[in-house]
Amino acid sequence: MTFFDLGGKHALVTGATGPLQRALAVGLAEAGANVSLTTTHATQPEEVQANSILNECWSIGRTGEALTVDLMDEAALSAAVDQLEGSIAPIDILVNASHAAVIKPFLDMTADEVGATFNANLAVTMTACRVVGRRMIDRGHGRVVNLVSILYDRGVPNCAVYSATQGAVLGLTKALGIEWVRGGVTVNALGIGFYEDVPGPQQDPELRAPLERYIPVRRLGTGADLQGALVYLASEEAAFVDSELLVVDGAISAHG
Amino acid sequence: MPILDRFDLTGRTAIVTGAGSNLGREFSLALAEAGANIVGVGRRPEPLAETGAMVEAKGRRYLARPTDVTSSAEVNAMVAEAIAAFGSIEILVNNAGGGGAGRGKTLPELTDEDWHEGIDTNLTSAFFCSRAIIDHFVERNYGRIINVTSGWGYRASRQRFMYPIAKAGVISLTKSLAMSYARDNIRSTCIAPGAFPHELTPELEQRAGMQPAGRFGRMQEIGPLAVFLASDAAEYMNGETVLIDGGAIAAGLTPAGLAPVFEGEPVLEEGARR
Repeated sequence: MTFFDLGGKHALVTGATGPLQRALAVGLAEAGANVSLTTTHATQPEEVQANSILNECWSIGRTGEALTVDLMDEAALSAAVDQLEGSIAPIDILVNASHAAVIKPFLDMTADEVGATFNANLAVTMTACRVVGRRMIDRGHGRVVNLVSILYDRGVPNCAVYSATQGAVLGLTKALGIEWVRGGVTVNALGIGFYEDVPGPQQDPELRAPLERYIPVRRLGTGADLQGALVYLASEEAAFVDSELLVVDGAISAHG
Repeated sequence: MPILDRFDLTGRTAIVTGAGSNLGREFSLALAEAGANIVGVGRRPEPLAETGAMVEAKGRRYLARPTDVTSSAEVNAMVAEAIAAFGSIEILVNNAGGGGAGRGKTLPELTDEDWHEGIDTNLTSAFFCSRAIIDHFVERNYGRIINVTSGWGYRASRQRFMYPIAKAGVISLTKSLAMSYARDNIRSTCIAPGAFPHELTPELEQRAGMQPAGRFGRMQEIGPLAVFLASDAAEYMNGETVLIDGGAIAAGLTPAGLAPVFEGEPVLEEGARR
């Protein structure tokens, strides 16, 4: 394929502990990129997961590292990225895939839970954008892709705070895209609908079947569905796509 | 299948309307580069033939089919001929369009003919082509329709009616097609290009500084987006419109990004009054 080759690029995928993040990382690796990952906690399950994703990228012939770093700690992330860029290469592609869907009635959420939801979706994305984006701007080149749920635009019960964080990430995406595009850095978002392995009503066995009938494409999304859009946005070919959201949702947001 | 292979279009055939020039030629060349054969559709035979020579130079098959896409009879005949020539069609790119109708007139001055010309060229043509091909796509349980709108499909401008209205209609047509034929494995998506001038005049270059990206789109940047959307790598994208405008609409005080982001005075559409 003449287009979309990411050979020689170095991508950093944050929050790389879930199946969606695995698909994003492996998609980039298949397209030629070296892929590094971040996880937050130095716990065995997270590190096993991250190393397993890293192994899959390595098995395709790529290199990369897994960092355990708290994305709320800008100084720590900055130090970790310095080390990573020294040992692998400068980061060309930042995928903010750290994502936490929180499903709970609005009135039942404590102030701490509200804060934690914003931190897990918005604050960590902003920190990564500040740390990695600064380096990209200095080098005059970069691609940032943020994961956003289409709940930024649609209301469903028990997702109010989560929806608000998604709107915030999309607003950040559009504004940063404009602020940075002349510096050679594009910022875009990948929009997800109802996906396998992501919390939501689709995980309820009773709701899953009617939901699948309701989605025009008649199935839930999987991580593999996001790979094409991510590789496109990360590629040189997408240099003029900026501040844009690519929704990959089987047309559910076209539904009347 | 590894991701780069999922972008491959080898063995597929695409009908591209407005294939003789500008974005239509770029779509044709990029799809051909990714492996597709091309049916080039447009009014004038000579530019279609030029596109054809470039497609064939990439080793793909090409059929030039001069057609007025605002005539349903001509469109139906074109689609039938394309299917007969290639055996099957997998991709339809509804690119034909143009902003000339009624340019410079105020609302009371616009004639019925201006209205119909603007709507027919930019919206009815996509409807006719989609309607003509859909049975073939349903029968084969496979099809990709890529419509082409514009930043004008999102926003308005003074004393400009048919073009923005028709282009908004194209975004809506994309969703209707997506909803109606998702179960038949037909995907409908839409490309919204920002400003892609086919030649850079000194006056235009001056305006480039008012684009968020500090430049206009380059012709060769448009085609790969159509390759992605036409490919199986976009299998779960349906009904979606993708802007490729260097952030113009996101920044957007005007669709073409003519509003100054950093400095300078806003530039009005040429011929705009009031």
